[in-house]
Amino acid sequence: MIQTIEASPDEIYDIELEHSLLEANAQLAKENRALLDRHGVTAIDVMGAIGSGKTTLISRLVERLKDRFGVAVFNGDATTSTDADLIANQSVPVVQIATVNGCHLDANLVGKALRKISLEQLRLVFIENIGNLICPAEFPLGSKARVVVVSVTEGPYMVRKHPHMFLGAQLVVINKIDLAEAMGVSVAELTKDVHKLKPDLRVIPTSCKAGDGLDEVTAALLAV
Amino acid sequence: MHELSVASAVVEKVLEFVSAHSVKKVLAVRLAVGELSHIEADQLRFCYVAITEQTPIQGSALEIETVEAVVQCERCRYRGRPKYWDDALAVGPIPTMQCPNCGAAVEIAEGNDCAIKSIRFSVADDGLAIPAA
Repeated sequence: MIQTIEASPDEIYDIELEHSLLEANAQLAKENRALLDRHGVTAIDVMGAIGSGKTTLISRLVERLKDRFGVAVFNGDATTSTDADLIANQSVPVVQIATVNGCHLDANLVGKALRKISLEQLRLVFIENIGNLICPAEFPLGSKARVVVVSVTEGPYMVRKHPHMFLGAQLVVINKIDLAEAMGVSVAELTKDVHKLKPDLRVIPTSCKAGDGLDEVTAALLAV
Repeated sequence: MHELSVASAVVEKVLEFVSAHSVKKVLAVRLAVGELSHIEADQLRFCYVAITEQTPIQGSALEIETVEAVVQCERCRYRGRPKYWDDALAVGPIPTMQCPNCGAAVEIAEGNDCAIKSIRFSVADDGLAIPAA
């Protein structure tokens, strides 16, 4: 969109463009969302560091939900298909999104994945983002909620080291609480940090391994 | 490293502009980068220089201005600068989504976008064919 022209005597021009560089992705995210809404499907974007437990969390949630309604999973991964393979064992539709050199999923890739599966019988799609704590925050995918998975094994300052990740999230899962004592990391302090950044952000402590907190996460996601 | 994809989007747009107008030389591209966006100015400049090499816009400057964050509170109607977390052991204060006035959660009103503001260029000698808006 060209707005004004400003000529200077030496024939140098300034043209205002006001062209958003994030708009193209935001627009595709809106289209993804509209497609999902038309089919009554809710997408949940799961973000977090490598090893925080994103795949395990999704896997446990799929176990609980797949007999109640249709669930599908998109696994973003730079190189491997290990996570997708793990989920596919549960006989739900899985799409592996290989970003190769990309540091985040974007709405275009998710849109392509959405066209790979039938949305008719689905109610939920989990989108596992790349294990990167900066870039994914910039790229909405069309999900209804963004979940950040933090684990106590990432140390006591995880939240304040990556504040941007939390500003656009609707739910924070603090995982591996069974290891909190061994790690010397306080779940209460991590929770306090989250609330300093965003006071209304819901935090649910979990141990995906032992099963703690998974009922609450399930209920929270079904309510979004 | 999504600065590379942002830089590529800038270059793509500017080259598109150059091919559609009678531009002799692009002198500068001005960007407005939001304080709440996750874009690092130095990395962005580095990527820009690298990918404009061997293109018609090689040598053009990338000028980056920061757009300050503005937040809005639904509860108390505050609109203005966010509350910063000063003692987070961080190198600088961290912007938060906590209302500086009443402590409720706020929404971002400005400062999370990244946009090309303007392009500064000289025109070809015979070219005054700058299209009107």
